[in-house]
Amino acid sequence: MGAACSSPGTSTTGGPATNGAALGVPRGGNLVVSVRNEPRSFSRLAARETTTDLLSNLTQAKLVRINKVTLEVEPALAESWIRSDDGRRYTLKLRPGVVFSDGQPFTSADVVFTFKAVYDEKTGSSLADSLQANGKRLRVTAIDPLTVEIAFADPFAAGVRLLDNLPILPRHKLEAALDAGKLGEAWNLSTPPSEIVGLGPFVLSAYIPGQRLVFDRNPRYFRKAPDGSALPYLDRLTIEIIPDQSAELLRLEAGQIDMTHSEILPEAYAPLKRAADAGRIKLVDLGVGLDANSLWFNLKPGAFAGDPRAAWLQRDELRQAISLAVDRQLMADTVYLGAAAPVFGPITPANKTWYWAGLPKTPHDIEAAKRKLAAIGLTDRTGDGTLEDARGRPAQFTLLTRTGRPDLERGAAVIRDEMKKIGVVVNVVTLEAGALVDRFANTGKYEAVYYSPIASDTDPALNPDFWFSFGSAHLWNMAQKMPATDWERRIDELMAKQIASPDESERKKLFDEVQQVFVEHEPVVYFAAPRVYVAVSSRVTNLTPAISRPQTLWEPDTLAVNK
Amino acid sequence: MVPYIARRLIFAVFLVFAVSSSSLILARLAGGDYVTESLGIEAHAATVEQARARYGLDKSMGAQYRDWLGRVVRLDLGRSLLYDRPVSDLIPERAANTAILAFTALLFATLIGLPLGVVAGSRRRGPGGAGDVIPGVIRATSLILLSMPPLLTSLFLIFVAARTGWMPIAGMRSPGEPATGLTLDLLRHLIVPAGALALPLAAMFERLQAQAMAEAIGAPFVLATLARGVPRSRVVWRDALKASLRPIAAVYGIVIGTLLSGSFVVEVITAWPGLGRLMLDALRARDVFLVAGCAGAGSIFLALGSLLSDAALALVDPRVAEP
Repeated sequence: MGAACSSPGTSTTGGPATNGAALGVPRGGNLVVSVRNEPRSFSRLAARETTTDLLSNLTQAKLVRINKVTLEVEPALAESWIRSDDGRRYTLKLRPGVVFSDGQPFTSADVVFTFKAVYDEKTGSSLADSLQANGKRLRVTAIDPLTVEIAFADPFAAGVRLLDNLPILPRHKLEAALDAGKLGEAWNLSTPPSEIVGLGPFVLSAYIPGQRLVFDRNPRYFRKAPDGSALPYLDRLTIEIIPDQSAELLRLEAGQIDMTHSEILPEAYAPLKRAADAGRIKLVDLGVGLDANSLWFNLKPGAFAGDPRAAWLQRDELRQAISLAVDRQLMADTVYLGAAAPVFGPITPANKTWYWAGLPKTPHDIEAAKRKLAAIGLTDRTGDGTLEDARGRPAQFTLLTRTGRPDLERGAAVIRDEMKKIGVVVNVVTLEAGALVDRFANTGKYEAVYYSPIASDTDPALNPDFWFSFGSAHLWNMAQKMPATDWERRIDELMAKQIASPDESERKKLFDEVQQVFVEHEPVVYFAAPRVYVAVSSRVTNLTPAISRPQTLWEPDTLAVNK
Repeated sequence: MVPYIARRLIFAVFLVFAVSSSSLILARLAGGDYVTESLGIEAHAATVEQARARYGLDKSMGAQYRDWLGRVVRLDLGRSLLYDRPVSDLIPERAANTAILAFTALLFATLIGLPLGVVAGSRRRGPGGAGDVIPGVIRATSLILLSMPPLLTSLFLIFVAARTGWMPIAGMRSPGEPATGLTLDLLRHLIVPAGALALPLAAMFERLQAQAMAEAIGAPFVLATLARGVPRSRVVWRDALKASLRPIAAVYGIVIGTLLSGSFVVEVITAWPGLGRLMLDALRARDVFLVAGCAGAGSIFLALGSLLSDAALALVDPRVAEP
């Protein structure tokens, strides 16, 4: 027998319960949200960026969703599911009576169609890569109109959590495009909004290029409020496209928009605090975030062939020296104006399930850093304060970071100054985002990078591309055919077990060990995780902000405004 | 005259071709491409290669340029990778918004700069230092505005808008307002971006006009008209003004071209959905075809403006059209 993994929501009206929505929540009104970029498509399958994701969240629904506050998996279109004893198969019971925004019924055929669409090579969707377990695709079968079975090739502990990525598409609208091999182009920005059909809380009613997207309430939406009344509370949600953050924040202060889509930058905190004290906006401190700034070196074997620095650039001791030399508290105070916490590994305290409090914390110790460098032959041979190798060549490297991100530019400057104290010269070079990613992800022409990568999910099983040596996001040496080092091999072994184990405590123990091995070798050195602040206008109510993105809009159906 | 205009036209075509070609090549040469930028680092190698092949980015730069050129001669500017729409559809809708902004700014600048220039140029201080303080105030204000780039003027106006609430801070139209047509809401939204572009321009017009007016006021025909007892204001605003318009007429075309092709910063800061913002988005996303299209459109505006200026100059001074 399998194990029941979830139960339906408590609503008596057919929809799942919402996250603490209170009675007496105002209905109607228009909530105005700002984003920085245009959408690239009306289809999440065709594009992957913030505004398209948001558009998909508003107009489409998923089988299950991750509650961004509790980080737990909750029912959505699937009201319950059962895992088989071998951990490979999940049988999902779909919610009955659910219809698309055009009135067509939702059935298991739509689920099967969506998987087919995502995996279709002609669609070329990047979702196909994230909808895999251990590098293998899922197999989906419709058992009956309201039951689907999802099979994993291997036991996969994260299970249906993987499905939070997947918006369910209407087969009746898109099947012809898929059959014609043109699903990748379907629902592009020229498509009339009335053609965009979904199961989400809103329907797209207008797109004015360069200006805004307007969404109206979907009267056929399936989720219900705790009192059994229909959701969403809002009649309309407008997304204003404002490319400049200063203008965005001024408009928020002036009451011309109700909230920004993303968290605010540390430097915006002080002026917004004044506006909050004056009662014009609400400023919410969500605590330390999930993502930290970090530095890594190019550890691809042979990357520095012919370079005399090859003897020390890829050594563990260099990264350990950096970790010892950089004062993390100084980094938090300088880069994030005090609104950050020092971190020592890839998992920050915000990730309550997988954070390991026992992880060794590297102290700020200049002398220990110098000893590490001496161990790889870098000492001050000329007495000028700069370290040299055995042949008298100065210890220096180039650190790439992204331009246009003040936090990264300030952080790189702190690293440069801190390394100067131990005699290592760091040349900071800022590059535009695309060029930077191209350097470390494609060409491999870099020495070190300082950046703030974003994890796909809080569950490590859903970030395999970072942890496994063959992963495409294994930053320091991507897509290896065989693990280049023993410790990477060890992490591969531990992660393979961690991903397969059905026992959550066993998974935690295994992942603690992964973090231990990781921090011993520090392929990526982490410094500080900024606190996350969001600002909303004082008329927004029933807000359940979360630490992970999109902080204020992960549950758009329960948002409301006071008129 | 006709051969002169024909020569300028050929040069304009060459300019548009050179600018759009070099934009495409430079955007392609820069590190990264649309696929890297859009799929992110977590995409698997096979997905990335597949996407490159789909967009034709797996070809050599020479082959890509040949393909693009082959399409351009058939007036097909390609398909935007970013928006999955034909570039030739995207550019006109954004260029129209830029044109609204540019012509409003030009109107503001002319209505402010020209009269102030006439006043400043016609009321010069007397030999003993006595005279009107107004020209001094105008000159000082113009110098301040001339030294402020549109970036600063737009930030200043946004600040004023935010503090006073008198006008919208950014955007082109309010939610719920008609998406097309000339409305009061559109005019209110124009104040900040058009003001940001117009103020430095008005200062430039004022300086040019004041100089030209000062020269015209001292011209023999003006002195003779004044000596005949014609009221000074009539002489200034009718005869001297007409005679002093040449410098502004000469730069007007270029200013139009520059406004249409170069209001990028103001468009980004004030969220004006124009050509500049489109080009910035295209550059960020490495959408090479859209970059080339936007650059080409910008250079067309610049070439037309320059052509207009040349034609106007040739009309008022036939010597410039001589070979």
